[in-house]
Formats: sequence, structure tokens, C-alpha cells
Amino acid sequence: MNEPIKVADELEFLDANKVSIGRNAFAELVVQLPDGTTHTKVEPVRSFPVSETTRYIALLDNEGNELGIVEDVKKLTPNSRDVLTEELQKRYFMPKITKINSLDGQFGVTTWNVETTQGDVEFGIRTRYDIVTLESGRVLIKDADGNRYEIENYNKLDPKSIALLQTQM
Amino acid sequence: MHGPMSGSGRGKSHRMGSFNGKPRRKKGNHELTTKEEVPELLQKQAQGLLEKGEEIKVAVSTDLRFDSTYGKDWLLVTDKRLIAFNQSGVLGHDIREVALTSVEDIEILEMYGNNILKVTTSENAFELARYSKRLTPKFNLAVSELEKLSLQKEADSGDGARGRGGPGSSGRRRGRRGNGGNGMQPGGDKSRCEKCGEPIPSWSGVCVNCVKKSKLIFRLFKYAVPFLHVIIPAFLLMLLIRFVAVLPPILSKELIDNILMPVGTAVSTNQALPETSWGQLQGIADTLGGWFGSMPLGGSFGHLIAIIFMMVGLRVFTMGTSSIRGYMMAWVGQNVTRRLQNETYEHLNALSIDFFHERDTGNLMSRITHDVSRLRDFVANGLQDIVGDTFTILFMCTFMFSYHWKLALWTLIPIPCLIIFTIFFGKKMSKVYHVLWKRYANISTILASTIPGVRVVKAFARERYEISRFSDLTHQVFTGEMNAAKLGTLYRPMMEFITYSGSIIIWLVGGWQIFQGDLTLGILFMFQSYMMQFFRPVYTLCQMNERFIRAGTSAERVFEILDTPPSVADKRDAVALANIRGAIEFKDVYFSYDSEKDALNGVSFQVQPGEMIGLVGHSGAGKSTLINLITRFYDPNEGTIEIDGHNSKEIRLKALRQQVGVVLQDPFLFAGTIAENIGYSKPGASRHEIIASAKAANAHDFIIKFPDGYDTMVGERGARVSGGERQRISIARAILKNPRILILDEATSSVDTETESKIQEALERLVQGRTVFAIAHRLSTLKYADRLIVLKEGEVDEMGTHEELIAKDGTYASLCQKQTELSKIRAW
Repeated sequence: MNEPIKVADELEFLDANKVSIGRNAFAELVVQLPDGTTHTKVEPVRSFPVSETTRYIALLDNEGNELGIVEDVKKLTPNSRDVLTEELQKRYFMPKITKINSLDGQFGVTTWNVETTQGDVEFGIRTRYDIVTLESGRVLIKDADGNRYEIENYNKLDPKSIALLQTQM
Repeated sequence: MHGPMSGSGRGKSHRMGSFNGKPRRKKGNHELTTKEEVPELLQKQAQGLLEKGEEIKVAVSTDLRFDSTYGKDWLLVTDKRLIAFNQSGVLGHDIREVALTSVEDIEILEMYGNNILKVTTSENAFELARYSKRLTPKFNLAVSELEKLSLQKEADSGDGARGRGGPGSSGRRRGRRGNGGNGMQPGGDKSRCEKCGEPIPSWSGVCVNCVKKSKLIFRLFKYAVPFLHVIIPAFLLMLLIRFVAVLPPILSKELIDNILMPVGTAVSTNQALPETSWGQLQGIADTLGGWFGSMPLGGSFGHLIAIIFMMVGLRVFTMGTSSIRGYMMAWVGQNVTRRLQNETYEHLNALSIDFFHERDTGNLMSRITHDVSRLRDFVANGLQDIVGDTFTILFMCTFMFSYHWKLALWTLIPIPCLIIFTIFFGKKMSKVYHVLWKRYANISTILASTIPGVRVVKAFARERYEISRFSDLTHQVFTGEMNAAKLGTLYRPMMEFITYSGSIIIWLVGGWQIFQGDLTLGILFMFQSYMMQFFRPVYTLCQMNERFIRAGTSAERVFEILDTPPSVADKRDAVALANIRGAIEFKDVYFSYDSEKDALNGVSFQVQPGEMIGLVGHSGAGKSTLINLITRFYDPNEGTIEIDGHNSKEIRLKALRQQVGVVLQDPFLFAGTIAENIGYSKPGASRHEIIASAKAANAHDFIIKFPDGYDTMVGERGARVSGGERQRISIARAILKNPRILILDEATSSVDTETESKIQEALERLVQGRTVFAIAHRLSTLKYADRLIVLKEGEVDEMGTHEELIAKDGTYASLCQKQTELSKIRAW
């Protein structure tokens, strides 16, 4: 009788010491894998863009095939880490809202005027389903154009912002 | 006993909606007995046929004759024979007699709107009794007794040589066997109440007539007990409020009689203003008089101001106290709701699948939301309102009688009218609203069916038809609403007129009494104010009965959930089988969902640990039933299922289900992220494990293509996930659980060929080292199965490997051939 497979053991991550991530003259990501092959125009993808931003980064080649998964960005060599971190920051833009100045609702669309870590911004939300509250108090917001925002912990906002936010949840 | 016999309960439906609560129990009608009183005439005729010492064991009457008219025929069973009396025309009875020993088979032919009991002997067959569906339980019972008797007879005579292996061998016999055989299924068929025999309204699921209101309401108080420390003060506060609320008319009486009248008289007759000084108000009047000392009217004016201050004070006091009381009771009510809801939901989760099969989701949902909040309303407001209103009336009457009993008697004259009128209107209104409610429900029904089916509507260009159907319904609602409006607009003026006639009586009688010098103007005024206040409490009290019934029905509906024991539950000494190896053995398993038809009919087979079994057969052959028994969604009626040598009934449910993984045809994803959905099978699974399972299920690649990756929200309102993707997520879920027994129920039938091959690939990885049961219509998907079990009408038809079965050239071979031909046509 065969033993059932233990899937967790089957999953292999890229060896952090043997992978090197750099950038070429065309600002494309170049990755050299432990097996020695080199790939250009590599696309890093977060497996958990919301809940895990620096771990489980999948590297896809220019045809979308997965080259491997980087288990933890921090474990990479300093050079690779910096390049990958910079690239991820560019690919995933999700400002953190620090204060809600005003909310204006009309005909179901709510206009939010907020202060974020990246500056002040105003955006519109089309449905309350675009505001997702996680158990930790984290709030994820998608605006009418598909931009993303987050509130790290809404309990830690100022009272006025909390009161405004609660009208939307 | 001629009228109420039709099985559909037609002609009695008027009882369903009416809430007048009179229990209509017909004694004797519902009691299940197979020894009825036989009419003398028949008894005489029967005696002539019997031998000495022969005794009538079973006597049942029918409600339908063979000429299709309603009426009573009889079937008698002794320990030797069956005797049937069937009326033919007007002349009398056909008597048919069958010796028990010659009976080969007894069966109940279930037909459209009626059943027939048929007995077969070796030479011929007799249809002995015909009856409506209403008598099904009685005749099921009678048949099982008949079987017992015939079995006994056989044992007694020792006659085994007639080629009959006992009644168990007769495959044609109907009715659930080995389950007590009394035909009364617990919970299952609930079209009629078991207690009173009346039809049960399907919206309610419980018998409206049999709801024991007092008992249920008493039980409801169990939920209020923990909050008595708030309820009792709130109750006392309410009494205080009610008392204070009837005081103002007394104040105005004092104001008129002791201040305004003397002053008014003095002014009009140009006398000196009187210095009133009386009773308890003096102190307050002095203080206030001090403030208004410069006022010309002196002491009397001070009294006026004092009384006005008291009036305002009472008002403010009542307002303040009632809002505090309202808050307290809201707290109690919400706590009761929460406790009841949580308890009901918890129990609902403990209940077995059959409970959910028998009831529709909407009904259960409305029990937890709607009925519970109705109960809250009753506990928090209803009951206290009733007590409070009674007290208000008592207080008012006490004051009226103590001030002037004669006028009080006159004042009460219109009250009976008020009561009769309110009850009359209340009944009419509830009827009208009931109709209206049904019409609104029809609108919801049509919307719920046509909006999701809009593609069909458009494809067949039936928009106009749907629009006209809809507008018919809105018209019905319109007429219903207008009926309600007619009553409603009539009701208020009528009530006002009755109240008004009361005040006319007061003017008339009171005025006359004033002429007699027997009454003061102030008291007249007081009576007038009370007349105006009488209406509301009387109205509420008239609605009391209905409130009780509604609360009682809601309580029954909620408590029915709480009182249903799970049909599949752990025995006390159940073993927690920690590591199942996966050996499964079915030993002569019988199972039936509804006692009408056996779903499994003596199934036996053995499966080794790690073996993959393909289940093949037409739909309805029992494949899914077999799986439901392995997962213990149901337990077999007869026979046993052994898992690693333990009877499955002896294994703790949780332990078993933790080691059984299921992949269904149309997998269900909860509202949540993909990661949460995969991790559902293993609480606390790491991200590492989740990615690994998704990879093994061929799901990882498409998951990371979503912008939100594993954090993508799915389920209702979530991202659109295709059928094949959902299937792979559910496979990942099963992989993560690492079950020892895996069930694949049509896992690949709803996806296209390319996706299927990806899923197949994932499944191959999944099945390694596990005991697997796979159901598939496409037989090619079972090519990895070690053995195939072919089911046919609840029995194992063939068993063996693919090659063996092809070589046997039986059911499986012909199924295979048909599919090959079909795929050729497709390919072409």
C-alpha cells in the first residue's frame, strides 16, 4: 500500500542563496535560477498580495510560466532583495489611509476624501462590497477605477474617521 | 365518517389560515388502531365463516369502495384467514376469503390518490381493500401485522416445502422493513398532524391546532429567566408609569372644581375672590405664590400654577421613565433573541442531513430570523403590554367608580360595543391581510423565478407573457390593498364614533347629574378624558388572543428545531478512530430515504485499504446513497457498514468525517478568500501547505494570475471563478485535508475536456494511498479504478475490474459500448 502523498513536502521553493535577481539595460528583471538558466522580462507576483507582501513571491517568465517561488524576500542576497523589493513596490501600489476627511454619498456612489501615507487623495466607491473588513481590523478598499487602498487597523484611526468609516460598513 | 376523507385535504383548506385558535380535535379519528369496532351485521356474517376458537386479530375499515365511491369496506384477519367485505351496489357485501396459509405475497399498490391492498396466492390474486392516502399509516400497520400472522402460521404448520423462504424473500413487498414497520415515520411525512390528524399548513410545518400555547410560552420564559434582574424592575416601572398616566384627569378635576369654578363664579357675580386653601397642595402653592406674589389673583393663582407644574412634572416623569424602561426591555429582548438564535443555529448544525432534506431553506431561515424576532417582541413587549393595559383599565375604573359610581356605570355602556367591534374587525382584517400577504408572496415567487431565468424568457420571446402574468399579480395586490383600505378607513371613524357616543352619554347623564346637584363639572371633565383613554388598552387586549397564538406558533416552529434529535448521532461509547486505514465492508445494507422505495437493497462488498473503487450505474441506482452512508450523512436501516472492522455507527462522527474527503460535482465555495476556502478543511493550515495543495490540485497557476492571488475573494459577490477552477480549489481543499477515505462524486462531469485532463491529473495524485470511491458517468474517468461496482436498482449488479466486466459482457459492458458509440458520434 502506498502512503498518501504529503503535499507540503512536495512543494519546493527557490534556493534563496542560489537565485540572483537583477535588472538589465531595458529595465527588465533578469533572473538566474539555481539550475544556471537565465530568464529576462521576469514578472514577480505576490501569492498573497493582501496578507503576505514579502513572502511567497512567484516568479513568472515572459510567457507566464512559473519559474519558482521565492519563499521570503528577506532571505535573498542583498542585491537581489533590493531589486525584487523595488519591483514589487512598483507593481503593487496600495497607499495606507491614515485619516478620512469626508465622505459624500450620492446615488450610491461614495466620494472619499482621505489622507494616505502617499499623500491626500479623493476617490469614488461604487458598492459597499468593494470595502472588505478583515478580522484584524484591516480594511481593504477598491475604488471605482480599480485602485487599491488599505487601512491597517481601523480601530487605530482618529474617532472622526472611525465614525465616518462605520457608516460604510 | 364520510366527509373529510380525501387525501389532499381539499375542502378543509379554509382552516389553514384562520387564527381563531379553537382546537378542533376529533377524538378517535387519528388514533392508529388495527382493531376497530366491526358493525354487528358484518360480525354475524363473519362468525359464520370462522372455525371454533378462531379469533379476529385485525379489523380495519377502508374509506373507499371498489366502485370509486366513498364508503366503508372492511378487512378482517384472523389467525387462519383473511376476510374482505366489499359492498357491491346496494345489495350487500361481496365476501372474499383467503386462507392465510395460501398467501404468497401481500402488497400495497400505491396509486394516484388511493391505494389498494392486494394479496396473491399460488393460483390467483385478490384486491381486498381500497383506501385513500389518508389511511396509509393504518394499512401499513395492518399489513405488517398480517405479515406477522402469516409468518406465525407458517412456523406453526412447519410447512417449508412450498418454496417460500419466508416473507423476507419476497422482493415485491412494500413498506420499510426492519424499522418497526408501523408505517409512522418520525418527522418524515408531515402532511397531517400526528396528534390531531388535521392537515398541517406547509408554511408552518407544525400543527396550528395542536400548539399548546401555555406550555410553549412557559418554556419561552426559560429564556427570560437569566434577565429577571432587569425584567422585574422594568415591570414595576411599567406599573408605576401606567398609574401615573391616569393621574392627569384627576388633576384637571381638582383644577376645575377647586380653583377655576370658584374663581369663575366670583368673577361673573362680581364677588370678592375666594382664598382657597386645601389639602396637600397648600405648601407648593405657598412657595409658588411667593414667586408670583405680585400677581393680582393671589393664592388661587398660586394653586393654578402649582397644578400646572404638577401636570408638566407628571408628563416629564412618564416620558423619562418609559424611555428608561424601553431601553431596559430592548436589552432583554435582544439578549433573548441572541440566545435563541445562537442556540437554534448551533442545534441546526448538529442536525443530520435528512432534516435539511425535508425542509426548505427559506422556511428554516425564516424560523431563525423572523420567528425568533417575533418571540422577542412577545417576551419584551407583548406580555407586559397585556398586563399593563389590564392595569390601566383597572386604574381608570377604580378612579371613576370612586369619584362617581353611577356615572361610571353609564360610561362603561359603549365598552362592550368597543370590544365586540374590535374583535370583529380584527378577524376581518387578519383575513384580508393574510390574503394580501399571499399575493405579495406570489409576486416574489414570480420575480425569483423569472429574473434568474431571463435567458429562457428572452430566448423564447415570452416577455409579453411574463409581463402580463406579473401585471395580473400586481392587480391582485391592488384589489387586496384596496380591500384592506376599505376596512381600515372604515374602522377608525367607527371606533371614533363609539368613543364619541361614550362622551355624548357622559355629557347627557353627567349634565343631568349636575342639574341634580349630584356631580361637579370637574368630575364630568375627568370622565371625558378617561373615555378618550379607554380605546387603546381595550384594543390591545382584544388582540391578545391573536398575539398569543402567533407567539405560540412561532415558538413551536423554533422549538421544533431545538427538539429534533439528530438522526445520526454519536453513541455514548463511540470510538474516536484516530487513524483510519480505509478498509470498508458493507454487510447486507438496506436503506430507504422515505420508506416508499428502497434506495439500497441488501448491498454487500468489501474494499481493501488504498483501493480505488469506481461506482457505475444509472441515476437512481444508489451510487450517491452508498456514499451518503459511508460519510454517515445517513445510517443504514438494516445491515452494517464496517470501517477497519468497526461498525460505522460506533465510530465518533467527528473522527470519521475528519478522515473522509469529498469532492463534489458542483463544489461549494464560501464567501471568503481562495486561501480561506482551501484552508477550510484544516483549521490553522499554513500558507505553505495551502500553496502546496493548490499546486497539487493544478490550481496554483490560475490562482496567482488573479490580481489578488490567494487573497482573491470568491463566493457570492466575489470574483468570477469558472466551474473548473472552483473544482480545482475544492480538490486542493481535499488534498490539504489528507483524508484516508476519498470520495469523488462526479468530480469532472461539469467541465470541458481540457480542464478535465488537468483535474484528472490532480486527482491521480490525490488518490494515491487512499481508499477512493469515485462516481462518474463518463466511464473513461474510471480507468484508474482497481475495481468497479455496478449498481442497479439498489443492488450490486456486477463487481470486478474493467477487463473482467467487459469479458463478462453484462451491464457494464453494454454501458461502455454505448458510451463509445456516443463519443464516436461526438467526434464526428
